[in-house]
Amino acid sequence: MVPWNFLYENPLSQNIISWVIFFYGVALPILLILWIIGLKGFMEITKYEKGKGFLYKMNPITKLMLSVVLMGVAAVTVWWIGAILTLGIILLYLTMNDGVRKFLYISLLTFTSIIGGMWSVAPFTPEATLELVFPDPAKYTTIWVWPSYFLFMGYEPQLTLQALIYGIQISFRITAVLSAALLLVLTTTTSDIFRMFTKLKIPQAMTFSVLVGVRTVPRIFSLLDTSVKMQFMRGLGYGKSRILYPVYYLYAGIVAIVPTIVYLFRGAKTLAISADTRGFRAYPGRTEMKTLGFCKYDYVAFGVMFLLIILAVLANVYGFGRTIPYVGY
Amino acid sequence: MKFLDIRGLEVTYLGKTKPSLKIDNLIIEEGESVLIVGKSGSGKSTFINTINGVIPNMISAEVKGEISVFGKDPRRTPIFDMSKEVGTLLQDPESQIFNYTVVDEVAFGLENLMFPKEEIMAKVEESAKVVGISHLLDRETNNLSGGEMQRTALASVLAMNPKALILDEPTSNIDPEGTAEIFDLLRKFRDNRKSLVIVEHKLERVLPYIDRVILIDNGNIVLDILKDEIIDKSEELSLLGVEIPEYYFYLRKTKSSFSSNLKGFVHSCPPRFSGNVLVLSADVKVWTKDGKNLVNTSLSLNKGEIVALMGRNGAGKSTLLKAIVGILDNKLKSNLSLKVEDKDLSKAKLWERGTYIGYLPQNFDVMFVKRTVEDEIAFGMKARKNYDKAKLKQFLEMFSLQKVKKEDPLLLSMGQRRRVAMASILASGAKIVFMDEPTSGQDWYHREILGREVQKLREIGITFLIVTHDSRFVDKFCDKVLVMKEGKIVLSGKPEEIFEKDEIEKGFGIYPPTEYQVKKYGSLEFLI
Repeated sequence: MVPWNFLYENPLSQNIISWVIFFYGVALPILLILWIIGLKGFMEITKYEKGKGFLYKMNPITKLMLSVVLMGVAAVTVWWIGAILTLGIILLYLTMNDGVRKFLYISLLTFTSIIGGMWSVAPFTPEATLELVFPDPAKYTTIWVWPSYFLFMGYEPQLTLQALIYGIQISFRITAVLSAALLLVLTTTTSDIFRMFTKLKIPQAMTFSVLVGVRTVPRIFSLLDTSVKMQFMRGLGYGKSRILYPVYYLYAGIVAIVPTIVYLFRGAKTLAISADTRGFRAYPGRTEMKTLGFCKYDYVAFGVMFLLIILAVLANVYGFGRTIPYVGY
Repeated sequence: MKFLDIRGLEVTYLGKTKPSLKIDNLIIEEGESVLIVGKSGSGKSTFINTINGVIPNMISAEVKGEISVFGKDPRRTPIFDMSKEVGTLLQDPESQIFNYTVVDEVAFGLENLMFPKEEIMAKVEESAKVVGISHLLDRETNNLSGGEMQRTALASVLAMNPKALILDEPTSNIDPEGTAEIFDLLRKFRDNRKSLVIVEHKLERVLPYIDRVILIDNGNIVLDILKDEIIDKSEELSLLGVEIPEYYFYLRKTKSSFSSNLKGFVHSCPPRFSGNVLVLSADVKVWTKDGKNLVNTSLSLNKGEIVALMGRNGAGKSTLLKAIVGILDNKLKSNLSLKVEDKDLSKAKLWERGTYIGYLPQNFDVMFVKRTVEDEIAFGMKARKNYDKAKLKQFLEMFSLQKVKKEDPLLLSMGQRRRVAMASILASGAKIVFMDEPTSGQDWYHREILGREVQKLREIGITFLIVTHDSRFVDKFCDKVLVMKEGKIVLSGKPEEIFEKDEIEKGFGIYPPTEYQVKKYGSLEFLI
């Protein structure tokens, strides 16, 4: 029994708090990250910057393969292997240009992804699934009891501590892949990604669309930041309590999406014309001004990938490789 | 061989009933340089997009009639094939650059056209040399100045060795020094007899490098003249929104030519307003985390004045504005002392500062968060709990927005969108308006409209601080100029006092309207 059980036993407080949790639960990860790193922080964590560390010297194909291997290993092994992989990858951010700052950003992003992942799993996990992980339901700790009509939204009647733990475990599948994908974007130029994708025979139009997205993401955050600030300048949140400020910030961010996207679409048209009038898609392939070779770091990375695959096999052989639901917390 | 041969051309965009461009007959010979002028929306972009094949291959439109570019019909030729004949440089340097480094950007087209590696390197170096960016090849494109970016884009086009070049307002979004760099290149192209089609508003600057001027209005060619005939047609061009320097009218009146003596020309400045009530005073210091000072200056504004803030890119103009309104990048540190109408706003929150100061960014479209014009203007009033229907109506009337009040602001024309943005910030209560490069990328017709709007608002007591490189706009509509250099306001005075200073061009990167040079040199030789 938790000390706040009287709150969910009283229908009025139960309803009010449940709805607050419902809305804040969805918004909390976004608010947390906006509050801590801001929209400009997002911009920094999605933009390539020149650097001298070994990650910048590696072939983009190696980095892409590493992301794929990590995704596979995190998907087929026990949660703590995913957690260790996540930790390993985010430590690599320290080797980047302005590494401490980027490490802090990715740590916060990982933290909020864990909260978001947990929240999208925990309230919906049926007891039957939880029992596979935590076999004794009698030992479950009830954190909150939802009003009965929440069941229509797919909620379980109770939120337990075990469901939250299970949610955290699941989220480590996302975090390993997320941090590895951002690592690729932060250490590889769009031109090199283009060359790599062309080598892999991926259609140019598809590559170009992806890269326009990669190039545009930092700009999106910069424009959203301007739009949000302009709304506050025009009086948004005027005279309101500080506690509501995050809600207004979130509101401003959401309504800023339409003008930002429209603005970017206008620019995207210019980029498309510029590319097509410079021979883009003239042939199925492209030649390369510089050949992307493999260096010693690539070979080390191949070794790491090989070990990760062995690890995944061994984990499965020894019972640490089950997919949902997990065993072995 | 003819570069361009058009007969009975009609271009109609999908969903439109009337053609947006109609040309009965037009021939441009190989090696000819042609300047295209006209208001925004007159059909200039439709014209050049039809030549390079973007219409109808990328932008859907029905193209009737005959069109031949170096003997090829752009409608039936893939764009990449046309790009070997005709290179296109667009207006906004930032939007057209795709690659991270300059060398990759210059090589982009060559890689697309499958040139061998060794040839790519040689061509990249050659075109970089032509546009003067050899020293920038290893630089990151996002750290270049506007002029350097535009030269990089141009090098990328030139590397493909097209027979003709289309330059679509190549200097609209770059500073005066970058503009001068691009115009210097035009001289080279002309010497090499490369065919050129240039869309450009700065007629007087581009004139030495062209043979012919075509004026497009309302989708039709209304004037097709040799450059020597411009003086005779100056009235006509001016009436159709082309930026014509005053001395052209003098030359016409005195029946003179470009080589004539202009010592008798007198440039008359408009009357300047001088306010005597201090409305804003600020001491601003902005520095980076590693201690580099970006801004360290004081600023004061008097009620009803239209003040221009000028200086080189990177001088700290936009940073100064952002520091005062409170929207600085959080990577920067600042110290601000700000008083507006005797109220200390140094520590005020954004919404409180916004009650006194409005800020119009260059990309003001991102302001529009409501789906109708009237909701957009009412946004600030409603947020501040002082919504008044009569007041809203007054703003709609003041900015001629009554007819479009139910329309989505994002779908309006550039001029209308700017008016909605301006009305919105004034409706929030602001009496001081900061504008960041509001004339960038606009033709003279629209810049004049903006100037008149600003002057009209000054009459009701609004004070303006406008960051701009547009010296003609400043000369015609502003009361005072502040010049920034290395984070400090170092010069202050009436536009004519600033523009007449000898060191203004080299020392501060400000290019005065050519009238001042004509007055100084008594001829047009400085342009050649």
